[in-house]
Amino acid sequence: MTEPLLRVDSLGVGFPSKAGVVQAVTDVSFEVHPGEVLAVVGESGSGKSVTALAIMRLHAKSTIITGSIDFDGIDILGLDDDQMRSVRGRDIAMIFQDPMTALNPVFTVGNQIVEAIQAHHKVPDDVAWKRAVELLEMVGVPEPKRRAEQYPHEFSGGMRQRAMIAMAISNEPKLLIADEPTTALDVTVQAQVMEVLREVQRETGSAMILITHDLGLVAGSADRVQVMYASRVMERGSIDEIFYESRNPYTRALLDSIPDLGGVRERLEPIPGNPPSLLNPPPGCGFAPRCSMAVSACSTVVPELVPVTDGHASRCIRVDDLVPVGGAA
Amino acid sequence: MDQPTDRPTGVEHGIAGSGGEVRSFAYSDVLTSDEAVALEGLSEKPKSFGRLAWERFLRHRLALIGAIGLVLIALLFIVAPWFSDYAFDERNVRDRLLGPSWDHWFGTDEIGRDLFVRTAQGGRYSLRIGLTVAVLATVFGALMGAIAGYFGGWIDNVVSQLVNLILVVPALIVLSVWALKFGSSANQLSIVLAALLWTRIARVVRGVVFQIKEQEFVMAARAAGASHGRIIVRHVMPNFVGVIAVEITLLLGTAIVLESTLSFLGLGVKPPNASLGTLVADAKGSIDNDPIRVLTPGFFIVLIVLFVNFLGDGLRDALDPKSKAEH
Repeated sequence: MTEPLLRVDSLGVGFPSKAGVVQAVTDVSFEVHPGEVLAVVGESGSGKSVTALAIMRLHAKSTIITGSIDFDGIDILGLDDDQMRSVRGRDIAMIFQDPMTALNPVFTVGNQIVEAIQAHHKVPDDVAWKRAVELLEMVGVPEPKRRAEQYPHEFSGGMRQRAMIAMAISNEPKLLIADEPTTALDVTVQAQVMEVLREVQRETGSAMILITHDLGLVAGSADRVQVMYASRVMERGSIDEIFYESRNPYTRALLDSIPDLGGVRERLEPIPGNPPSLLNPPPGCGFAPRCSMAVSACSTVVPELVPVTDGHASRCIRVDDLVPVGGAA
Repeated sequence: MDQPTDRPTGVEHGIAGSGGEVRSFAYSDVLTSDEAVALEGLSEKPKSFGRLAWERFLRHRLALIGAIGLVLIALLFIVAPWFSDYAFDERNVRDRLLGPSWDHWFGTDEIGRDLFVRTAQGGRYSLRIGLTVAVLATVFGALMGAIAGYFGGWIDNVVSQLVNLILVVPALIVLSVWALKFGSSANQLSIVLAALLWTRIARVVRGVVFQIKEQEFVMAARAAGASHGRIIVRHVMPNFVGVIAVEITLLLGTAIVLESTLSFLGLGVKPPNASLGTLVADAKGSIDNDPIRVLTPGFFIVLIVLFVNFLGDGLRDALDPKSKAEH
């Protein structure tokens, strides 16, 4: 296997609050290889966005970050502010969830792409502008020349997200982090934007971390999937391993809760209960209280993330009892 | 919000027909190009923010009156001496306390100086102090407010406490003491006034910045590798120019009134120079039998402050980036 582009090792992220430290990410380790798409899936508050922001070092100063993040041979957590700034946007770029608020309302879209380019490359305005128009064309914005001179409020949601993608790839980053890139969009536009994202990712050859809670999106666009729950990685594997051979009760429950068009299932199975508090997490597996397969040992000790096959790993005491039964769980 | 779905582009849209085949559909097939353009709400070249703001400003009648009025008053103050044979400090004891006449448009004062020329001179003085104070206080206040709001934490604490401290100090007393001790040239008065008046702007800007910095585009700018200075100047500041425009006009008014007050109390401008305030003060003894001498400079003070407020009102509406004027 090739040398990984990004190696996150036992990452922990905690937010100090008056009541104590909220541990949003616990002992998260994973790797991203050049050119691959890793999907990070989980419900709200599972720690997926917090992990992404930690890689970009965009958390407030008071945040407690432990572990290590190695990006292309650089120790991200050891960089000073200036060094980090030159990594952001050039080597690692981020696409945010809501294109409505992620663009500055007082500048034209072209202007903002130019700004992103000039933050890292000393190029004259007209060259940067030409490049901005090219980028807009690349992400499928029609009439890019005219559109570049328009303001964000003159763009529709889908077009704005395309502009965000154009901005993110403007410096040909090695790693793209897309934080729920389609969540704020209309269903009809989601597929288009996802396609654009995949396309530019393939064209620029950059790796991508795709953060989402939409398993349907994952199936079509990711190479590998990492399922997170209550600040920890629950399971990791290829698309097929996660969707058809899951060895984790949480992943299975998650899959059971998505509608299956044309399937025979009549009712969706919601997961009962709520995720645990991250302020004073109960001992044991975070999912145990909601798990239909829980045994008494589950609530005393946190299970390890054990490898099932090469590249497939699951965090569950009963991993051996969860032999694949075929089909989606 | 305004456009949740993709706009039809007429290029790559397909609609699944009933037969299951995809039939391509373009607005240009059914509409003339003009109609298609109108449908998208776009003229051939989109208007810039500055242009939109200018158009909104022109539609604001009171603001226009304010702007034109201010320009006229300033012009009057500047060109007035050219139309008079008298200098502002020229005494003609025989002509004391004359009423308005063709020779002396605003009459003369107790030592026979022409009041028209003196009003113009005083007006220039007042406007100069007002403008200097407005610019100084706005620049300093906006900077302090932006820094406090953007960085938060202890920096915000220090700035906020400083603002509170200055806000509880009665401006008039500080000014009086200063003027008595260090004199009261226009520049000195301006600096002291600015030092007292930047706090309001700092507070307003701090509040706005607190709000703006939580917006995702600031996070996005950081993710793109922008530095703090660049974010403040390029992303945060343009979003509060509207607020500043209003504050700067209010400041101009406040500064002129404060300066006039000070001069009225005899602590401001020293004779033979005049400001609108000293002119009112000089004439206050004759308010019963000859009110016109108090009323002319007073009238100009009121007019300037009024116009300035009109102007600020119009600027606020015009410069609001979220304002959705038809375009």
